[in-house]
Amino acid sequence: MKKRGIGIGSIFYGTGYGNGFPDVSKAVAQLKSDGKIAIYVGATEVGQGAKTALSQIAAEVLGLSVDDIVFINEDTSITPDSGTAAASRQTYNTGNAIKLACEKLKRDILEVAKDYLGLNSIVGLTLKNGYVYPKTLPEKRVSLGEISESLESSLKEEAVFTAQTTEMDEETGQGAPYWPYTFSACGVEVEVDTETGRVEIIRAVLAQDVGRAINPELIEGQIDGGFAMGAGYALYEDLKIEKGKIKNNSFTNYLIPTSLDMPDIEKVIIEDPESTAPYGAKGIGEPVMIPVAPAILNAIYDAVGVRMTEIPVTPEKLLKAIKEKEMTYNEGKN
Amino acid sequence: MGIREVYKGRNIDEVLELLDKYRNDCRIIAGGTDLVVHLRHKRLNPKVLVDISDIEELHGIKKEGEFIEIKGATTFTEIVKSNLVNKQLIGLKEAAKSVGSPQIRNRGTIGGNICNGSPAADIVPPLLALDSTVLLKSKNKEREISLEELFLDKGKVNLKENELLYSVKFKKINKNQVLSFSKLGLRKALAISRLCISVFLELDKSKECKRVKIADGALGKHGVRERKVEEFLLGKRLNEETIEEGAIILQEEISHRLQGRLSLPFKKEAVKGVFKSAISKALENLH
Repeated sequence: MKKRGIGIGSIFYGTGYGNGFPDVSKAVAQLKSDGKIAIYVGATEVGQGAKTALSQIAAEVLGLSVDDIVFINEDTSITPDSGTAAASRQTYNTGNAIKLACEKLKRDILEVAKDYLGLNSIVGLTLKNGYVYPKTLPEKRVSLGEISESLESSLKEEAVFTAQTTEMDEETGQGAPYWPYTFSACGVEVEVDTETGRVEIIRAVLAQDVGRAINPELIEGQIDGGFAMGAGYALYEDLKIEKGKIKNNSFTNYLIPTSLDMPDIEKVIIEDPESTAPYGAKGIGEPVMIPVAPAILNAIYDAVGVRMTEIPVTPEKLLKAIKEKEMTYNEGKN
Repeated sequence: MGIREVYKGRNIDEVLELLDKYRNDCRIIAGGTDLVVHLRHKRLNPKVLVDISDIEELHGIKKEGEFIEIKGATTFTEIVKSNLVNKQLIGLKEAAKSVGSPQIRNRGTIGGNICNGSPAADIVPPLLALDSTVLLKSKNKEREISLEELFLDKGKVNLKENELLYSVKFKKINKNQVLSFSKLGLRKALAISRLCISVFLELDKSKECKRVKIADGALGKHGVRERKVEEFLLGKRLNEETIEEGAIILQEEISHRLQGRLSLPFKKEAVKGVFKSAISKALENLH
């Protein structure tokens, strides 16, 4: 028989290294001779979209399109240290460093433009679409390319962002180890085949607090990916270690979900800007996967009344638990 | 040592000549979806490979009198797309469709799936339920045996060192007959069968089983016909009671066959659900 059930999981998660550990990101912003802006950061793109989102932050500060940002990363010989692409920290931490570096560079650009245009102050100067001009007199303008050509050496600024984290009290375990926190919730409907123990995810919804969505499509992609990882964690992935060796060391028998195993996920992006974040944006890479497994396990419980306490919930384990429950129930009746 | 020579076969005679010459030193490669993995893991170490994938004579599905013949190097995709694999043969189509992924189905062949001798080969149970025969060719000889006789043990088939599986044949299926397939995989694609069952069914006018043939996969050393279940169901009406009883007989058969295996408690339980699903799919497609 096939039985359906619904489950919810909700979480909060502190991004960044936390617990007083130094969490430092550096960034360099430079005006290139062709008027484009080069950003140097040691942030690694691992498919999460760091290159895109971080370029967008730089473009936003400097009034440019992302096409005018030359993003240079992953080359340690020419980039400063921006910490690891871990702890869901790049958007918040390195994003902040880029924002600071670009703000400094923007000020430098305005100063040069002021002299170039023969003005007496940078007050009211606008930098937009590659031009600097007084807000009140847009015809009097100079391009970033012209500014760059007028200089003997290029404008370049570095900035450092250090996140606020405090150590927990060793005695009590109390404190505020992370900053900031993100929140998310996931709901799933599953169908359990009570004769084979197979679980199918019918539909799902995932709501993620993002602070501010720098790139909503990337966030939706992260939700899809995080859900797949969470579903694999709950239902498939089992590292069979025997005497220190992984027995299933290939994707033939170490199972992860395929696209056919994934339901369509309804994505809800919740924006509540974080005051210390670049444009309010927080990291969401890990948070999107965390509520998925508890939601699935709760849905299984709702469907068949069996509380699974070990993952992955393979057909083998679930069928055994269902049968045990039936036996206890029948014994109770007798 | 590694592979010294690879031949791209242009016709059957050439291939049979090479097989006869190199014998045990030689392996046939069709889709390579199993063979290449074996080679990489050094589980096989042939000196010579003979590629049969582009030999036209070894591809295709066609009617031969009252039979349907599927040539050895026909891919799963070709089976899925064939008009001859119609609604009555839904089980054969579903089995072919459940193999691996689109990429694997585009390369993998019916002959390879059979000759690799995997207990979990998806295409085997439907072919067993169809009472298929295989035509085996060698340089100066050919012989036709039942598919059932071909399987000797896990990963072992009754194929001589100079023989090629030329084709698989089974009787055309009538309008009042149907073949179904049901599989329990751990996920929806790229899933090796934990178990699978195929049912061939024909009911008479009073809805009793006139012909019933049942075969399963991953429940033994190779695909197996479940004759005790067939005998029980023959002449009976298929209702909740008889299906349940049939399932119990199947469970007993499996308990006997998989004695001592860690997977037995699960498979014994799960086979019931898969069996019922295969029977109900057969009934659905019969009406």
